[in-house]
Amino acid sequence: MATFSKVAVIGSGVMGAGIAAQIANAGVRVLLLDIVPKEGGRNSVAEGAIARALKTDPAPFMSAAAARLVEPGNIEDDLARVAECDWIVEVVVERLDIKQALYRKLDALRRPGTPVSSNTSTIPLKTLTEGMPDAFVRDFMITHFFNPPRYMRLLELITGPATDPALARRVADFCDVALGKSVVACHDSPGFIANRLGVFWMTSAVTEAPLHGLTIEEADAIMGRPFGIPKTGVFGLMDLVGLDLMPHVNASMQGALPPADEFHAVNRDVPIARKLIETGYTGRKGKGGFYRLNREGGKRVKETIDFATGEFRPERRADLPELKAAGRDLRALFETPGRVGAYAWKVMGHTLGYAAKLVPEAADSILDIDEAMRLGYNWKHGPFELIDQVGADWLAAKLRADGFAVAPILERAAGRSFYRVHEGKRQYLGLDGAYHDVVRPEGVLLLEDVKLTQKPLLRNASAAVWDVGDGVLCFEFTSKSNALDEPIMTLLQKTITLVRDKYKALVIYNEGRNFSVGANIGLALFAANMAAWAQVEALIATGQEIMQKLKYAPFPVVSAPSGMALGGGCEFLLHSSAVQAHAETYAGLVECGVGLLPGWGGCKEMLGRWSTDPKMPKGPMPAPMKVFEMISTAKVAKSAAEAREMGILRKADGITMNRNRLLADAKRRALSMVDGYKPPEPREIVLPGPSGKVAIEQAVQGFAKLGLATRHDIVVSGELATVLTGGRTDIIDIVKESKLLELEREGFLRLLRTPATLARIEHMLETGKPLRN
Amino acid sequence: MQIYNAPLRDMRFVMHELHGSAAHLDRIGKSGVTSELIDSILEEAGKFASEVLLPINASGDEEGCHYENGVVRTPRGFKQAYDQFRESGWSALAAPAEFGGQDLPDIVGKMVEEMQCSANLSFSLYPGLTQGATLALLGHGSDELKARFLPKMIEGVWSGTMNLTEAHCGTDLGLLRTKAVPQEDGSYRITGAKIFISSGEHDLTENIIHLVLARLPDAPKGVKGISMFLVPKFLPTGDNKPGPRNGVTCAGIEHKMGLKASATCQLVFEDAVGWLVGEPNRGLAAMFTMMNAERLSVGIQGLGVAETAYQSAVHYARERLQGRALSGPRRPDLAADPIIVHPDVRRTLMTIRAYVEGCRALSGWVAQALDLEKLGPDPETRRAAEDFVALMTPVVKALFTDLAFETSSMALQVYGGHGYIRDHGMEQLVRDARICMIYEGANGIQALDLVGRKLPAHMGRMLRGFFHPVQAFIEANAADPRIMPLARAFGALQQATAHIAQAGLKDPEEAGAAATDYLRLLGLVALGYMWARTTQVAEAKLPTANGDASFYQSKLTTAQFFNERLLPQAGALWTAIKAGKESMMALDSAAF
Repeated sequence: MATFSKVAVIGSGVMGAGIAAQIANAGVRVLLLDIVPKEGGRNSVAEGAIARALKTDPAPFMSAAAARLVEPGNIEDDLARVAECDWIVEVVVERLDIKQALYRKLDALRRPGTPVSSNTSTIPLKTLTEGMPDAFVRDFMITHFFNPPRYMRLLELITGPATDPALARRVADFCDVALGKSVVACHDSPGFIANRLGVFWMTSAVTEAPLHGLTIEEADAIMGRPFGIPKTGVFGLMDLVGLDLMPHVNASMQGALPPADEFHAVNRDVPIARKLIETGYTGRKGKGGFYRLNREGGKRVKETIDFATGEFRPERRADLPELKAAGRDLRALFETPGRVGAYAWKVMGHTLGYAAKLVPEAADSILDIDEAMRLGYNWKHGPFELIDQVGADWLAAKLRADGFAVAPILERAAGRSFYRVHEGKRQYLGLDGAYHDVVRPEGVLLLEDVKLTQKPLLRNASAAVWDVGDGVLCFEFTSKSNALDEPIMTLLQKTITLVRDKYKALVIYNEGRNFSVGANIGLALFAANMAAWAQVEALIATGQEIMQKLKYAPFPVVSAPSGMALGGGCEFLLHSSAVQAHAETYAGLVECGVGLLPGWGGCKEMLGRWSTDPKMPKGPMPAPMKVFEMISTAKVAKSAAEAREMGILRKADGITMNRNRLLADAKRRALSMVDGYKPPEPREIVLPGPSGKVAIEQAVQGFAKLGLATRHDIVVSGELATVLTGGRTDIIDIVKESKLLELEREGFLRLLRTPATLARIEHMLETGKPLRN
Repeated sequence: MQIYNAPLRDMRFVMHELHGSAAHLDRIGKSGVTSELIDSILEEAGKFASEVLLPINASGDEEGCHYENGVVRTPRGFKQAYDQFRESGWSALAAPAEFGGQDLPDIVGKMVEEMQCSANLSFSLYPGLTQGATLALLGHGSDELKARFLPKMIEGVWSGTMNLTEAHCGTDLGLLRTKAVPQEDGSYRITGAKIFISSGEHDLTENIIHLVLARLPDAPKGVKGISMFLVPKFLPTGDNKPGPRNGVTCAGIEHKMGLKASATCQLVFEDAVGWLVGEPNRGLAAMFTMMNAERLSVGIQGLGVAETAYQSAVHYARERLQGRALSGPRRPDLAADPIIVHPDVRRTLMTIRAYVEGCRALSGWVAQALDLEKLGPDPETRRAAEDFVALMTPVVKALFTDLAFETSSMALQVYGGHGYIRDHGMEQLVRDARICMIYEGANGIQALDLVGRKLPAHMGRMLRGFFHPVQAFIEANAADPRIMPLARAFGALQQATAHIAQAGLKDPEEAGAAATDYLRLLGLVALGYMWARTTQVAEAKLPTANGDASFYQSKLTTAQFFNERLLPQAGALWTAIKAGKESMMALDSAAF
């Protein structure tokens, strides 16, 4: 893999700072340069950008340590230091003259052969390199990040005919492995892929909505969920990206695209959008956009622009029976008589038709187009996957009827689907009319692909077990939201036996949005409401038993989380031999939020980790105090790096930046541990007992006086403090794991019997928000 | 012969001893209502029931209501009985003082209701519907409508009805067609035809206030487009006297299996003047205030009829001489032993008794929750009571009425052939009881309401008010071997509940297939819990009971009978529920 040890980022606007942060997140030093301002310190622009990034939510940095890797500077004093850097990223204002002037300076200062890339979204590479020295052109490319760079997984890479392919490969590898991006190769065409198509779609959706007599809510309801697009739809998305951006992007697109391009037909003036921008309604960053939150009169009223009056009115939820009737059948939606079907077709039907033309105009294959829209616009399905849902022929015929020029690749499909599974391999239709295997980059292993070639070794309603090769099994949660329940525990039990008898190691991994948001508290609540205490106790006891079995299994168990790993999900990490976490892992023991405490060994493991941490002060009190602080506040790590700071990940645990590489990394990690693997020794710890509990309770009382702890918080903290201080133990006693588990069980059950805890769980399930009772 | 003496001793036991009326009244801020006051009200109500209402029960059945030219005449004696009822203030008993009521708590009101149903079910419907209409108006009516109509209704001078059903829609009210057209003066004109309207037309009161479900011109389709209107038979004048006749007429009355003295009317509304009650298109919610109250009342009706059936059967079993006891003659002085010596007659009587007293205990618990729902000291208590009433409403309605039909039929059996002929009035009880399983939501619908709405609501929150006390009671008495039948039945109920929640989530038909058995299972456990608590109270009282010892001893024996011979049905019900829908749904409809 290509490793860069230092990268220069020039330009510290939102994108520049974000890119710098993500490079730092990868553990790579960054030199962040910007202009010298007329007033203030010479580095103050870049310094300010770093400070702002540290306060931004969602956070560009994954940890405070990462922020320290970014060194601010200015282009007058420090430009020569680009010679220290292995890659130079230009993120300055979108002006050709300024960029080219910078390039000339850089070319003189950089080490020869150092790649230089621009984050431009509007200027073609051909134009950028015009008149530049050959050696520079050879090392130059466009690396187009999406905002925010940490969270958006798409990176469009544009190279020119003269770009050195090996160098481009090195940059691509770094972006892929170190920065965690999916690198999509684009042609040097206007807007590249995602914005070319995205802008067409958004512009069309915005201009067509009032023409079809739809409200904004209705338009968003049609453009969102039915197509697997986030429910913000188009108007909500416009508010998110900023209304004021659109005129610029559209103007640049209009200038760059050839006259015959269909974009010109959809790109019409939208007076209401213009009026909103002029009055400061630029979107969520401003006073609001098409939607706003009206706080007048102390109330918070959600409001929406009414097309007819151009004024705000209270939000009206869309109630479109047509959508319900069509269900998931997109063809039925397109064919629905009336304004709903007509709008869906006019906007999305044509967008799909337009997408088809982008091969080969903007990319070599349909794979790139689909990947760009999935990752750049968070579409669940790429355009060609959507076309497969309605049928290429059907789409072509309907487009033709509209007089919309049908793309060659649609003709070429001729009744075939764009994707198919052939002999266990996913294949796509090429421009040559033949199917080709979808080839994953080296080091990428996806369960999605594994599933095409085999049946699960074990499976039940909530989990499945797959053979991922080389003697490693993968345990996958398949329940709704990957909530942990009884069937999962049952299957794990069987899996442990299976691995012990016939395999080498186990990886716990899945490809859901979240690793697991914890135990199915809906079930627990129902059981509690019908007073099935024995059943609840059995559920906890079984969970504890399985967690202990995982921990002491005679083979390595590697958990590989991505997304949220909360509550019971986090307890899986804590009981694994090792964790290989996706960088975007959000782990925490959040049980107190719903009035419970970690009951599957979470308290026990966190205590064990912190009481053996050499950096902690001596004595039995610091560890319980530290753990209490985290669990009682239901703290969630906002990255894998932060989880490491919290002790949820250990030093030896690995972090994978690229989501698609997680399973392969976890498997490699597991295999590396197989030889001579010994399960850990049970921990025995010294805990303070009742006196320690009193100390914690006093602290909680203090919070309560400050209004920071509610009445039930005190009850919950009290139970948690009992567990963490070892119950009735004495300082001279040694507390065994089994004792801590017993305390967890008892505390959990006592809390579950309180109406206030039941009210918290119910509130969380019904509103998704914690109840502060 | 229909025998009825109000079971005052048992009522006092349920109210004061089992459910602790003193603490309860304190909690709802009605400590002024003393147990002496309650006892004297119950005594008077009992007298009224057996002296005024019972004598016209059989005759009313024989004579029935008569319809001629839009006018309905109730049977002989009904008008006089009703006047006496109103003048004695029974109609105002549990109504709010603000509109002339006596504001007595529901724990008293429900017992008085039971007595009226025992003595004369047909009669009880006239004031019963007025009470329901009063509640709906109280909950949803404008201040103006309340001030204008409530005092007269509570006084009993005007009566009330509820108009839901139309010829083509009963259970499925979404199909409703009656129209309401807004007028410039804020009133509406109602046009349509309603059927099965109890007390829709009669000669007991000077005016009849109909609450009618209808659709506004721009109303959405289905149940979300139904509004409720108040339509009086006579439009009140300025001084609130019945004025001009409104456009509502009775087109006929039904000829029914039983309940013959209650007029079940077809009403025709032609441009009738009405006023909106509550918000437009929210009529069903408003009507459900009334429906829920009515459903509980129908359960009480079942209990009432069963009590009379029991008393009548006991009377006959003691008097009727046939055969000899299996263990040898008991009354050698007589030609034969009274049939009460026979085990099977005793099985019959004990079964009825165990159900009736169990249901009375349960209704006392639910009545307490009705009070707490309105008058509980804090929002949590009020909401918990509301949840409990919501859960128990379908159970009380369906369980009590299913049992009323079963037990009245058992009581008839004690009479042998004499039960089947009209002379003794036993077949009237069976016929009268039968309607209770049907109206105000057929019992199958009650069961669906329980499994489909109440059970899953808020992840089982409504179960809490019932399941938690039962579990706590079992835990607290774990050392007592007599708790085992209840513990087992409750275990079956918990398992069945979890099973239905899970299976029903995947396939609603599974929940539907389990519904009726599940309701009975929950009901049995509820009665079992009442009997277990009764045992505890009776045992505590027995050592100092003196003259009352036999009362408590009977309680203990009846509890034992329930535990040993009735509660075990729970196991069978759970087995049936577990079997699932397969055999129920497998046959092709043509194969039936």
